[in-house]
Amino acid sequence: MAKPLLEIPIIPTGRFIGLVLLVILAILAIRQMRAKKMPFIRRVAALDAIDDAVGRCTEMGRPVVVSYGIGDFSYSVIAALSILGYVAKICAETDTRLIVPTGGGHSSYVVRETAVDIVRSQYILAGKPETFREEDMPFLSGEQYAYTSGYTGILIRERPGATIMTGSHASEAVNIAEQSNLVGAITITSGTYVSNMAALACASDYIMLMDEQPAAGAYLSKNVDQIATIRVQDIYKALAMVLIVVGLVLMTVFKSDLILRLLDT
Amino acid sequence: MSWFFKSKQIQLSILVFFFLVGFVPYFFKMPPVEDFANNLTRIAAVVGNFTIVIAVYSQWRRSLRFIREKRKGWAYHIYLLILMSMMIIIGFTLGEHHTAYKWLVSTIVTPLSSVFYGILAFYMSSACARAFRARSPKAAFLIIAGCIVLLYQAPLTGAFLPGIEPYSLFLTDNLGMALSRMFAIAIVTGAIILNMRMLLGRELAFLGFAREES
Amino acid sequence: MVEKKVSLLQWMATYDQRWVYLILFLVVLGPMVSPIGMPISVSASTRNWYEKVTALKKGDIVLDSWSTEYSGYMELKPGLLATHRMLINKGVKLFVCLGHPEGFAVANVVFEEELKSYMDKHNYKYGVDYIILGYVFPNVASTIAAVTNFQDAVKTDWKGVSIKGTFLDRIKTGADITMIVDFTTGAGNPGLIDHIVLRFGTPMIQNPIGVSLPGALANLDAKLLQAVLASARGGAELEYLIREPGPGLIMMDAFSLGHYMVIIFIIIGNIGYFGWTKRERARERTTIR
Repeated sequence: MAKPLLEIPIIPTGRFIGLVLLVILAILAIRQMRAKKMPFIRRVAALDAIDDAVGRCTEMGRPVVVSYGIGDFSYSVIAALSILGYVAKICAETDTRLIVPTGGGHSSYVVRETAVDIVRSQYILAGKPETFREEDMPFLSGEQYAYTSGYTGILIRERPGATIMTGSHASEAVNIAEQSNLVGAITITSGTYVSNMAALACASDYIMLMDEQPAAGAYLSKNVDQIATIRVQDIYKALAMVLIVVGLVLMTVFKSDLILRLLDT
Repeated sequence: MSWFFKSKQIQLSILVFFFLVGFVPYFFKMPPVEDFANNLTRIAAVVGNFTIVIAVYSQWRRSLRFIREKRKGWAYHIYLLILMSMMIIIGFTLGEHHTAYKWLVSTIVTPLSSVFYGILAFYMSSACARAFRARSPKAAFLIIAGCIVLLYQAPLTGAFLPGIEPYSLFLTDNLGMALSRMFAIAIVTGAIILNMRMLLGRELAFLGFAREES
Repeated sequence: MVEKKVSLLQWMATYDQRWVYLILFLVVLGPMVSPIGMPISVSASTRNWYEKVTALKKGDIVLDSWSTEYSGYMELKPGLLATHRMLINKGVKLFVCLGHPEGFAVANVVFEEELKSYMDKHNYKYGVDYIILGYVFPNVASTIAAVTNFQDAVKTDWKGVSIKGTFLDRIKTGADITMIVDFTTGAGNPGLIDHIVLRFGTPMIQNPIGVSLPGALANLDAKLLQAVLASARGGAELEYLIREPGPGLIMMDAFSLGHYMVIIFIIIGNIGYFGWTKRERARERTTIR
């Protein structure tokens, strides 16, 4: 690590600049949330495809399979739960069967309870509590590959019209996406890890890359203030690009490690 | 009393409190708070693992229903229940270092999980074979780059085509690494904004509140 | 009904995916059953790994982290076994920490079967030269607790036997660890880098599976890791370097042929795409209905 620009007694080394950036981010996010006008956000094909995919399932009389990942409560699982709630709402309104395979991780049962609550709430709000079936949200296993075998078994037996696989999926994602393709379902996935992103991009019909998944909840809500927060992501990425370029120029041309020292403050 | 557990404001307050318990000692030197936060994380991990009991109960309930109604694949559920019970009983009574438990793991669990991991190779190959089409110039460049890296990754190539190494290393060490860094920056940015929305009460799905309820 | 004959180009564009599975299976099975013994080249990253492990001295204490279950072990096996042979040869003290509940199956296989004869040959004994602590790092908080005050956090090995009186008495904090050797399937313990490498400056080397390699290379570039061994291929190269042939070298024929088959399928698919699919689509667009 480079020598930091400042040594602040009560703050551990390397964390001050992170704190400053987070405070700036919080202020930006709150200001954006007061937006009155819908900001321009480019289309996210994978999120737009969710409506079409569920509609296709309704027409064909085939179920929709949605999963939110194998991990415990991380940002990707939380984003996936937003998508699950959205799909559950459409399925409840259109009487389309929704199957949610759960499990795969050691803390996955904790998340399952929340997922069941979310889906049940949507059915109640749609005025059809009797159509909610908890047995369509089976807990397959706490082990990754046992969960994968159960999931692929569901795909082969039920032959869904669409598979929406978001959240934190590890290597089983490719297994599931390919199997979904083989049964002829539209496959919508999200790449949470750089390691499986490439394979998922090959195996899926639609994929949410990088920060499209955390933005899903806001994007699908169609609320002005929530969509405005997506702009903050872009502002931050622009800031990162500026820092990278400035740091590159300083280190290469001027042989200065100022940016490194700044980031290590 | 149920009003307490159903209240959105109380749940959000608890969320913010525990967020601060983890957040503050990371940025400010507060050893007692840091110890408290670490202990909390460990307690949460232990409590989370006890939910496996509920998972076992849920699996029994589901499997018994499948068997009773003789649904498709009901015989496999009998096998599942027998194996699950055997492993639980042997694990608790004899311990995981006993020969019987080790035998169950090495003859059933490990080969099955290895097979599923091995299947990945076939699925990835068929995905690549299906998806890599030069529909546009960008796609063509991607395919060429991918083939160069694939060729280099095969150890035999280095023996008869050593000249490929600098091109492949350029692709992996520059483009590939730039991509993984870009990925990390974008993911973290998205995660922070999502967490911000959660703390400000705009993203409540994970608390079990449907959008209309909130 | 007259069956329309499928042309070669049409077949190349529309073949059943099961042909891919069958041909790949045969191409991989053949060399595994009857090894060909194709030459391999040793990459710079493997040489770097070799140098880092060789630089260790007798008596150094190494944290051996296995964040893998049995399925991932199949890919990490060559590198894991070859590295451990080097470590045993060097007389390094190892304490094995499992990052996955299924890891104990891996530990059983490695120490009680694969490396048993090698350890007996070098008089490498449990409790004296290596200790398996078990699933002690399930999360970051446990890692922090262990590296801040090791003696308070970890008291027994994976079978409940006290570790007092062993070489682990020398470990008070993360600073007392000479090096971390991490074998991971990608869902590894981030606490190792965040709370040992960054905090105490402990050098760390990592052997990830192939798909986790880009992330590991980024860490290598940022000097968070000192060396990276590239999954099964790196393990095979290491076996070649240390002159101890093992599962890695056996795999490499199949490994190479499998890669070439994927490239051939991509080429076939593109020939079919340009030769048939594009023309069919153009014909459909211009057909008068």
